[in-house]
Amino acid sequence: MVEIIFLAPFVTGILAFFLPKAIGRQLLVGTGAIHLILSLLLWKNRSVPIFENYFAVTPEGLLSLLVISLLFFLISIYTMAYLKETDLKSENIFTGSMLLFLSTMTMVTLSDHIMVMWIAIEATTLASAPLIYTYRTSASLEATWKYLLICSVGIAMALLGTVLITLAMDVGNVDAPLSFSALTGVAKDLDPMWLKAGFVFILVGYGTKMGLAPMHTWLPDAHSEAPSPASALLSGVLLNCAYLGIFKTHKIMHAAGLGDFSGTILIVFGLMSILAAATFILKQKEYKRMLAYSSIENMGIIAFGTGIGGLAAYGAVICMIHHSLIKSSLFLSSGNMLLGYKDRLIENTGDMAARMPKTFVAFFAGFAGISGFPPFGIFIGELFIIVGAFKTGHYVAAGIFILSMCFIFAGFANQVMKISFADFINKDDANTDPKKIADPAGTIPFKEKASLVWPQYILLLTSLILCFFIPDTLYQAIIEAVTAIGGGIK
Amino acid sequence: MIHPVDTLLSLVLLSVLFSFGTSRLPGLIKVVAFQGVVASMVPFFIGHDMSAGGVVFTVATLLIRGIIIPLCIYLAIKKVAIRREVEPIVGYHASILFGLGLIVGATYVSRQLNLPAISQYLLVTPTAVALLVTGMFFLIARRNAIAMVLGYIMMENGIYLVGTTFSSHVRHIVEFGILLDVLAGVMIMGIILQNINKTFDDVDTALLRTLKE
Repeated sequence: MVEIIFLAPFVTGILAFFLPKAIGRQLLVGTGAIHLILSLLLWKNRSVPIFENYFAVTPEGLLSLLVISLLFFLISIYTMAYLKETDLKSENIFTGSMLLFLSTMTMVTLSDHIMVMWIAIEATTLASAPLIYTYRTSASLEATWKYLLICSVGIAMALLGTVLITLAMDVGNVDAPLSFSALTGVAKDLDPMWLKAGFVFILVGYGTKMGLAPMHTWLPDAHSEAPSPASALLSGVLLNCAYLGIFKTHKIMHAAGLGDFSGTILIVFGLMSILAAATFILKQKEYKRMLAYSSIENMGIIAFGTGIGGLAAYGAVICMIHHSLIKSSLFLSSGNMLLGYKDRLIENTGDMAARMPKTFVAFFAGFAGISGFPPFGIFIGELFIIVGAFKTGHYVAAGIFILSMCFIFAGFANQVMKISFADFINKDDANTDPKKIADPAGTIPFKEKASLVWPQYILLLTSLILCFFIPDTLYQAIIEAVTAIGGGIK
Repeated sequence: MIHPVDTLLSLVLLSVLFSFGTSRLPGLIKVVAFQGVVASMVPFFIGHDMSAGGVVFTVATLLIRGIIIPLCIYLAIKKVAIRREVEPIVGYHASILFGLGLIVGATYVSRQLNLPAISQYLLVTPTAVALLVTGMFFLIARRNAIAMVLGYIMMENGIYLVGTTFSSHVRHIVEFGILLDVLAGVMIMGIILQNINKTFDDVDTALLRTLKE
């Protein structure tokens, strides 16, 4: 019974709305643990779902599912400590929405029917909207409104794309179940014109959700306004879920012999996202927005790699896994920074290396990892993508890619140095004497509890280990997933 | 002979034109309700065999799209007594002109598409395209948040029309899923709308401009 993986958090999520705070927090961690165990069991023993027409266990789905489970479990431990430090008015709505969010994202990874996939992705929007509005400020209201409206319209485009694919079946006289696996099997008989149109709409639709430029405008707002654990989930897993929709459609296109068409579009959108991130990250004033733009960049990298195919497609999947691990750790660290500095502006932070040493280690290591430094996995992923791009003759695209990476690294590094080593001027002291630098001890009333830093360390450590040693089953799953879109290590 | 579906859809096209020119929210809500009713009635007239379950789903769609959602929005604006203007970015005359051009363009495009399944119905494709683009137009060219939500619903109506008529593959269970999603989406948008109104005392989205680069 595979369906229990998303039904369990659904039930506990509903329960959490009505339970008192303390129980809700424990329910969050408990569900996270159960979810992780269930995912590992599914990984070991790939059982068949009860509703075979609607759900299926696929290699790419399993990969995403494992990432979601691991991330959610660690984030839930962090959340428990984080909620004790902050004072949320309606905490049960927050925990309930987190669990429903987990449930809907799990459903995305397991769905095989193209309409069920659409419903699940739309449901992730609805479940995560209350998370963004958690702080009840006018800015968070604006972010939620933008998120809801832009993503709903985007998802409506994806619905149209899905309908056009069914039209491709009608015109091509194909009678098959409306599932990704069945459609991949009969892809050659589908009408190519309607299939192409369907892919474009689906890419624009799910691309909105994934944060591909120019449909990315909701992403920085939503990520900066949501509480940090929610931002970590949004960036670490939600974007992957949307990518899964694009990936599966790309698979159909590849099977239909239209892989070049969809690949080229993916490359263009990927490069646009990387360029957009490079433009905006340079002058970013808020650290959470900076991280959000880095997510846009990484989604661009993943789309770019998927579009190129071959070795680059393998690199894209590696990037996807490691981006989730590293970026969620960065967002959790940004939660500590917000607790410590009480401000999201970079100019009001500083000297983190001395004041919050544990968070600093996690944040700085995360920065190194996300910028593509060895020994973290994104280094390998990006290397594969660049080599793959050169091998297939995409010289100009690879050039733009590398140049943008340099810009993004420069912008990111500049801000991280300010946060980590610049003098910290306490606003309250600065009011009386602008030159006065706050005294080294005791200006940050924030204690780095173990459960507020260990989740980040474990996430980074996982990325580090996966860089040197990939378990064989994991490796097989990645290869199996990318072979379907014409990728692999060759 | 003109098919009854075409007669109904010609009224929808007229209502699209009307919606471009209207400045009042209550009128716009009625237009959206009418379009919802017609869009969900079309499957009764168009070919596919209706099972008992199919009838139930279609009636449920009709109730939700045509009555429940518009009624909720209508009651919401009555309750909070917010400004009833749609606050256009593009003026009404220009909007109507755009609407006329849109209908001509949609008809032209539909001729090119050449869909065998619905070739005997002249207006299905033009109406669907017109509804889609009109919805988008409202999202872009009106600042009032309720007008934007109505635009979103209009777009969904257009997609629903495409989905139920173009293809026999879209199963009812799936239609129902879409319906629930739309319902939940509009409800959550409604909650956010109320909060926008409470926080800013207005639903003019020009007030939502603090987050930008």
